[in-house]
Amino acid sequence: MELSSIKDAFDRVAKKQKLSSSKSQEVVDQVGREIEQALATIQAPNGPSTPVDQKSVLTDLKSKLNAIVALKQLEGPQKELNLSLSKYQKLLEKYFNPDISKAYRNVDFDNHIVNQIIASHFYRQGLFDLGDSIINEAGVLDLTALRLKFMEMHQILEAMRVRNLQPALTWGSANRDELVKIGSNLEFKIHTLQFVEVVQNGTRADALKYARTYLAPFAHLNKDDFQKLMGCLLYAGRLESSPYSDLMSPAHWEMITEELGRKFCTLLGQSYQSPLSVAVAAGVEGLPTLLKLANVMAAKKQEWQAMKQLPVPVELGKEFQFHSIFVCPVSRDQGSEENPPMLLPCLHVLCKQSILKLSKNSTRTFKCPYCPAEATVANCRQLHF
Amino acid sequence: MEMDSLSNGNNTTATASTPATVSPDSSAATARATPTPPPSSTGPQLTEALKLEHQFLRVPFEHYKKTIRANHRAVEKEVSAVISGVTDAASADFSPDDAVNHLNSLVSRLQGLKRKLEEGSRAENLQAQKCRARLDHLESADGENLSEWNSTRLKRILVDYMLRMSYYDTAVKLAECSNIQDLVDIDVFQEAKKVIEALQNKDVAPALAWCADNKSRLKKSKSKLEFQLRLQEFIELVRAENNMRAITYARKYLAPWGATHMKELQRVLATLAFKRDTECATYKVLFEAKQWDFLVDQFKQEFCKLYGMTMEPLLNIYLQAGLSALKTPYCYKDDCTKEDPLSQEAFRTIAMPLPYSKQHHSKLVCYITKELMDTENPPQVLPNGYVYSTKALEEMAKKNDGRITCPRTGSEYNYTELVKAYIS
Repeated sequence: MELSSIKDAFDRVAKKQKLSSSKSQEVVDQVGREIEQALATIQAPNGPSTPVDQKSVLTDLKSKLNAIVALKQLEGPQKELNLSLSKYQKLLEKYFNPDISKAYRNVDFDNHIVNQIIASHFYRQGLFDLGDSIINEAGVLDLTALRLKFMEMHQILEAMRVRNLQPALTWGSANRDELVKIGSNLEFKIHTLQFVEVVQNGTRADALKYARTYLAPFAHLNKDDFQKLMGCLLYAGRLESSPYSDLMSPAHWEMITEELGRKFCTLLGQSYQSPLSVAVAAGVEGLPTLLKLANVMAAKKQEWQAMKQLPVPVELGKEFQFHSIFVCPVSRDQGSEENPPMLLPCLHVLCKQSILKLSKNSTRTFKCPYCPAEATVANCRQLHF
Repeated sequence: MEMDSLSNGNNTTATASTPATVSPDSSAATARATPTPPPSSTGPQLTEALKLEHQFLRVPFEHYKKTIRANHRAVEKEVSAVISGVTDAASADFSPDDAVNHLNSLVSRLQGLKRKLEEGSRAENLQAQKCRARLDHLESADGENLSEWNSTRLKRILVDYMLRMSYYDTAVKLAECSNIQDLVDIDVFQEAKKVIEALQNKDVAPALAWCADNKSRLKKSKSKLEFQLRLQEFIELVRAENNMRAITYARKYLAPWGATHMKELQRVLATLAFKRDTECATYKVLFEAKQWDFLVDQFKQEFCKLYGMTMEPLLNIYLQAGLSALKTPYCYKDDCTKEDPLSQEAFRTIAMPLPYSKQHHSKLVCYITKELMDTENPPQVLPNGYVYSTKALEEMAKKNDGRITCPRTGSEYNYTELVKAYIS
């Protein structure tokens, strides 16, 4: 898109606006001056003594003023301004999509739900003021529990940002079992951070004591990391110039802070990314295709408002790929429980119905459509993605 | 031969359509010729996303245009009033004192106009600045600041939603705390706020004034908002049993609409025969309080149209598009990943009336790493038929001396028992 040409067009509009506005001011000034001059003439000591003279001054003024206005000093620039205004508007309509609601399906969006989504979004982002504010204005359902949880999360993360690990450690030990259940060694990682702080700022004995008390219980699951940490002890107080300097790097801290955020959300049963951000971002990516589709459908006079499935694929980036979707390369059908993907002995994958068709309902062997290998239904295996 | 075709199949794993009839060799050739497109979120995709921003530029522009028009009209009106004042003076027989007084009043009128003009031109310049700030903002979007730019876009979309829903406090707070005042239309909505609040208090005067302000444009779009407001005022007179005044009112304000809206006019006039407590359904609804809500909605629609806004909040449009694109039958299963917005009840409810997305090609996501399985990270099949990405399985094998545990069934296998699957 040529944003620069749009900007140029706008600059022209602004120029004309300035011109027109200064012209107006000029006209007003001129009219004012003429009137004041006439006033001066009337009031002058040697001015018009008879009503006839006074009248002629006024008539004179009248024709002067009419002349000023008749010069079209007002209309001219205004006309040019109007022209550039409408040109700019047309330009916008040409370069941008003037109506992005064309693909909108006219269903009632439950505003209560949308408000609840927005309030949760604010809480998740740590914008507690805003969350409270919209709940106040919109009367959203009670989200106190969620608010408390996110509040706790943000307090932990905030503390970590100023290198205070206490809240994180407390949370880690309180959720030890849950963390282990999801296969996370996050608690060990937080202790690692703390240990490095002790190594750097405390005595060697302190560090050793910390390692024995807090790191040792995790050692059997994190052998390599544990040994590496113990290696740190050799460089106590001067870690920054040791092979272990990366342990102190802000990036290392950031990584573990982010992981804590992730695991916190996982334990909450929430996603790490705000679902609102994800859905809107997917909308921005998908909307251009949907708008094109709406245009085509309208041209063909086809109704798509009631369709159960979009007639064309809407491609989204891989960050929006949450599910495995198998599409049979032969029938183009989407895999489902009734029609699952099957692995042929030659390791190509087709859907069950395609295999049944190729084998004439399991009555004979068939050739894989992708390679010369033969197969029977019996030696095909169902796959689970 | 079989080995050959397998390695060919490997190459085709993640490529786009390979017609089923094509022989293995040539399919491999097409695979090499067409590399998988990078899943970029910049370049053409950004251009497409920017094209959706019409309202973002249009609204401040409409505001700017409106200010320009109003200023110009004021100048024309005042200047011609002054000139006709002079014309009057020239033809009247004023005493010198009267003439001086008359001219002096014209001079002070001009001074008032001058002040107004200066103010108006300041307003024009401010609004021009706003238009420019938006153009600059669109121009500033590039690969480097994209995630920040996208997060600002979400905030803009949220402010738009909240303004339309009349959650002004939150809208203003969000705009202020993210410093995006120039990128949202709070000032424009201030105008709507007054009208809406009055309508909620059953007062049509500000709404009628707004109609008068925008008369020509409303007429062009054949808006009947003013008529609807007048009807409501008439109903209120009938409700108060002020019948004579109601008739006078109808003569003056409703009759002009007779040519185009006779049916509605007749229906409302019939209420004169009934009263506010009528049980006759046709007329009962006219007295209901929700008529005022309806007027608010009507006003909002006209308001959005006038400023070139979409009829629906941007948030609804984007959410709907996004959820349509994301919706698959798998989203509604219990094991739906939490990262999918459609794992949440709220999003599921909203997405209910929306269509499912469609796929032409397989897209496989590893259950363990949630990463896409493609040529770089091909899917491998366990003897029990469960499929995971090579990356996940390799890591698991490395940690457990070559043993693999299926996370969904608990079965254990050796890494050597796995086979690659070829999915085209």
